[in-house]
Amino acid sequence: MKRLLMLIMASVLLLGLTVVGAEDVVKIGLSAPNTGNYAEYGENFRYSALMAVEKINAEGGIRGRKVEIVVMDSKGDPREAATIAQRFVENPDIVAQIGDFTSTACLAAAPIYERAGMVQLSPTSSHPDFAPSGEYMFGIVGTQAAEGPFNVKYIAQEYLDINSVAVIYINNDWGVVTKDYFVEAAEDYGLEITACEPFFEGERDYNAVLTKLRRTNPEGLYIAAMYNEASLITRQLQNLGWDVAMLAPSSVFSDNFISLAGDAAEGLATNTFFALNDPDPTVQAYIQEFVARAGREPNLHAACAYDSTLMLAEAIERAGFDRAAIRDELAKTNDFIGVTGRLEFTDVGDIERRYKILVVEDGDWVVKADYTK
Amino acid sequence: MFFIQQLINGLTQGMIYALMAIGFSVIYGVVGLVSFVHGEVIMLGAFTGFFMIVFLDTNIFAALIAGFIVTWILGMCIDGVAYRPFKNAPREICLIMTIALSIFLRSLTQVVLGTRQQMIPDVFGNKYFMIGDVRITYIQIFIAAVIVILLLALQQFLYRTRVGLSLRAVSMDKDAAALVGVNVNNAIRTGYALGCALGGVSGVLLGIYYNSVHPVMGASASMKAFASTVFGGLTSIPGAAIGGMVLGISENLGVGYIHSGLRDIIAFLIIIAVLLIRPSGLLGRKEAGE
Repeated sequence: MKRLLMLIMASVLLLGLTVVGAEDVVKIGLSAPNTGNYAEYGENFRYSALMAVEKINAEGGIRGRKVEIVVMDSKGDPREAATIAQRFVENPDIVAQIGDFTSTACLAAAPIYERAGMVQLSPTSSHPDFAPSGEYMFGIVGTQAAEGPFNVKYIAQEYLDINSVAVIYINNDWGVVTKDYFVEAAEDYGLEITACEPFFEGERDYNAVLTKLRRTNPEGLYIAAMYNEASLITRQLQNLGWDVAMLAPSSVFSDNFISLAGDAAEGLATNTFFALNDPDPTVQAYIQEFVARAGREPNLHAACAYDSTLMLAEAIERAGFDRAAIRDELAKTNDFIGVTGRLEFTDVGDIERRYKILVVEDGDWVVKADYTK
Repeated sequence: MFFIQQLINGLTQGMIYALMAIGFSVIYGVVGLVSFVHGEVIMLGAFTGFFMIVFLDTNIFAALIAGFIVTWILGMCIDGVAYRPFKNAPREICLIMTIALSIFLRSLTQVVLGTRQQMIPDVFGNKYFMIGDVRITYIQIFIAAVIVILLLALQQFLYRTRVGLSLRAVSMDKDAAALVGVNVNNAIRTGYALGCALGGVSGVLLGIYYNSVHPVMGASASMKAFASTVFGGLTSIPGAAIGGMVLGISENLGVGYIHSGLRDIIAFLIIIAVLLIRPSGLLGRKEAGE
């Protein structure tokens, strides 16, 4: 009898603790690749999101409640992303979600978030089909629909002054759409495309593909890949002794890229809206804190994750804790200025970005032209 | 010239595949089971090479030797965990143990060493020489030389030493070998460690050839090794070598002439074709009852 009484008291106490604990917290889900091929990008998300959350909590939280990020590992796998989406929407404490890294994972999880009415704010999905796929889908990195034409007109034609380009691209949702927009813009602007060849994720030997592209004799090579693959491609280009102008979309921008590619990266041109030597003090403060935590400099993805978290928090502050209200307030965001610039959503939930041209010179990223102002 | 260049690319890749496949085939021959952890052993060999060259600043030979030794020891440990305790149990248990170890080692590496791709600088400074329009780099010659020397050493070991004799005996028939006085457990452990060590050396070579190591590089390495070995005959070492060369060359020619998406498909097509037409592989022994 006594033992039963103790048991009941203990459970009531525990229950009381959890109830008390739960009241004070608002939870945001974070789905990102913490392991697998894209683990480094997921780490960047995590560092940035946690930094943003600590900043918010230090300033009093959201409507008096502390913010907590629930992190789940999508492994860069769209099936995992969908499973995580299911778990997030079923958890009544989670009011919105940030993630995923790859467009493929975001697209896979989108129907689940849409049906359940929860915001999915992707810091890095640049596939033009993602944000329009639902009312609750938002992306802040800008889409390939803007990057493609910028790469053709400002980088290839104006900065590099070349007339023909071959394309090597990763054969997934992002890579294919990047190639498509580049090729379409090239047709519009009169840039010749000599050949397009894909490769699959995880590929490490590009000699065969590069030898094949070299035969078509282009003046430049457009490398539509993430920076770890792009670093291998530039090295193998150098090993083949092929002296071609290199250009790439913003996916390659990272200090890891230069350390992995070495001097093979010299001269590669890409676009970004986040530059490490930006004199803006908020940007510099962010960079320094990120370096202190992560031991490396942040890249575009990390900066977008940071802005996403802050932006979402402001929307929750205005809207309260109802998932649908959060969505409406997020869509109405119009005077948010983050480390990646001024953010305002289009009707479908995208951001129209403007870029700077970055070139690798003497082992560092140097801003060569600025079209963002 | 394009064809010759693709051929050279294919030969170099093929030789590395051949070495991975030979390790795999030694394991299958002696232990009698496919090892699903071979990819991770290759990966750890590559990381050993990375440490030696980048952190300890040693030369390439020290890196190769270190890769060999580290993965030999790793192989002995894996044998102790996955094979020895289960020698009288159903064979599936060992297979599942190797799968579990594969996941474990991959994740452990990511936790301990970080999730990022790491770079190995050019050990020969990207030097090369030209024959006509075809470019052959020093690294390619070096890799070919290392593999040929290793194969000759392996052949001497297997056919001229007592330990090699015991490995061959166990690979032919475990029970008969026990009956004539071979210590089967030791032979299995040595054979497994040898297979892993060859995998480790191929990992180091992969690292210096592609200038990069990554904790998840084991999966595709393991698949290529498996495809090569199946093609050449699971129990035949020369067969595995031939399988590796054929895989490397056909992948590169397929990518060069048909479509670059074909690379991995070719490996699978080879497995399917071999299993349909000649299941024991090119040079494999026909199993009893076939």
